[in-house]
Amino acid sequence: MSWPTARLAFRLRLPAAVSASVGLIAVMAAVGALFPAIGHSIGRISVPKGVSNLLGGADYGTITGWFRSEIAAIYGPLVIGALAITGASAATGGEEEDGVLAVVLAHPVERARLVVSKAAAIGAVVVLIALSTWIGLIVGVALAGGGISIAHMAALAVQLAFFGFATGAVAIALGAANGRRSVATGIAAALAIVGWLISSFAPLLSGVAWLKYLSFYYYYAGHDPLTRGVDILGLVVLGVVTVALIAIAVFGFDRRDLRG
Amino acid sequence: MGYGELAVTPGPVIATAGLSKDYGADRGLFGLDLEIHAGEVFGFLGPNGAGKSTTMRLLLDLIKPSSGSARVLGLDTSRESLEVRRRVGYLPGDLTLYPKLSGRAVLDYLAELRGGVDGRVRDALAERFGADLDRPVRELSTGNRRKLGLIQAFMHEPEVLILDEPIAGLDPLVQQSFHSLLAEVSAQGRTVFLSSHTLSEVERVTHRLAILRRGRLVVVDSLENLKRVAVQRLEIEFARPVDADEFRGLPGVTEARAEGRTVTLSFEGSVDPVVKAAARHEVRAIHPREDDLEEIFLRYYQESSA
Repeated sequence: MSWPTARLAFRLRLPAAVSASVGLIAVMAAVGALFPAIGHSIGRISVPKGVSNLLGGADYGTITGWFRSEIAAIYGPLVIGALAITGASAATGGEEEDGVLAVVLAHPVERARLVVSKAAAIGAVVVLIALSTWIGLIVGVALAGGGISIAHMAALAVQLAFFGFATGAVAIALGAANGRRSVATGIAAALAIVGWLISSFAPLLSGVAWLKYLSFYYYYAGHDPLTRGVDILGLVVLGVVTVALIAIAVFGFDRRDLRG
Repeated sequence: MGYGELAVTPGPVIATAGLSKDYGADRGLFGLDLEIHAGEVFGFLGPNGAGKSTTMRLLLDLIKPSSGSARVLGLDTSRESLEVRRRVGYLPGDLTLYPKLSGRAVLDYLAELRGGVDGRVRDALAERFGADLDRPVRELSTGNRRKLGLIQAFMHEPEVLILDEPIAGLDPLVQQSFHSLLAEVSAQGRTVFLSSHTLSEVERVTHRLAILRRGRLVVVDSLENLKRVAVQRLEIEFARPVDADEFRGLPGVTEARAEGRTVTLSFEGSVDPVVKAAARHEVRAIHPREDDLEEIFLRYYQESSA
């Protein structure tokens, strides 16, 4: 680990992470405050199964269902995924394309340490967002009238953090192995969206239901952490995938020419 | 500025053997054999795309060679790259730094990354170059960004400096500071390997130079030797127009052309046949012209093109 590199990479992403955190907490507070007013009427809405899967069950009539659909299904993973992907792409392919890495790598730092340090910084950003999600849930659920345990809210935040680690690791691997920001951002974002769609629709189609196991989203939300708590198996899968992707990033970056 | 004791490295400080980087389509670097010795300021000349930056990036292990090898301070640049980079200062030609950070924050990070940087040396360099360390890099002019690049390359008092187009974008006063710093560094036994395509820069500061063209080494020699073997030129102003053919074919004359009443001659060796031929006419003035580095460079460039 190169601590100066990890600290700098985190510092460069901190303003965006703090803005996103404040926004997350504010949105969750607003979502919670809305529930007493509209929860009973919106709870009667009936949506097709496919759409309901996309929206985390679309069970708007209960506080758990309301937060599962409003926050856990889309907003949380969208924010954490976006920050992890853009941060990881900028720290690897972005810095290489800009030419900054030519100066940095002229210093006595191993490429492997550089990649691991940047991955650690993105991991810290993800943890910050996950922590904010937890705080936002606590505030929002309290404003909605309560009903979800702090532990289950923490479980969602932990699952979300591991989803962020794996999604960011995809961008790190692509950015480090390829050296292009646009490739890392584009492919990682596309995989995240495809993963969300697969996890929502694959179970509805006989014969391809198994495809859900290829989606990070399934390991994040498939177990319903707001109701059932932490899914250890999901965390293990996301953790192993993250480590494997970082290893690929190190291997790819170590053996190629720096661009520029 | 105080410099510590230099570790003595036997043999050349920079040595390449058949160093090649093939990008295809005859682009890259091909079979470079080069030796640069301690205390030298060595100039690396060539037009854009000649392979100068490629050579430097190979020495820093930023890119991997297709074949051949290189050693810096006796260390293999691939296998012992970390130690090489610890002891070398590098300025890339196309310098980019973190745009949101101040110059000071950038230098702090790079100093921390390197370790063992004396803050007083860094501050002295900043003062010498008149660098603005407090503004964000994105607000700095190209010249001010280059100053930061020079400071980070010199601030750990490296034994070897690899500087790619170091003077590009610097104003004349800073160029002067840079030239005097090079002289000090060289006097302390440190080695400087710098590239340029602005020939006058190299002429002022280098002990020896190499000319590179299309990835191949054309010549390596001292400036004095290059000038000694250079073609000499004469401009002879006559009272009336004279046919240049009278001079073509004279022993040593390589080129003759007439323009109005002036004949311009390039020749090697003795000037005697030229003077005797000119004396057949009324001569108003003779202006000898020494080849400057640019002409030497262009001739090598053209010869190897042919």
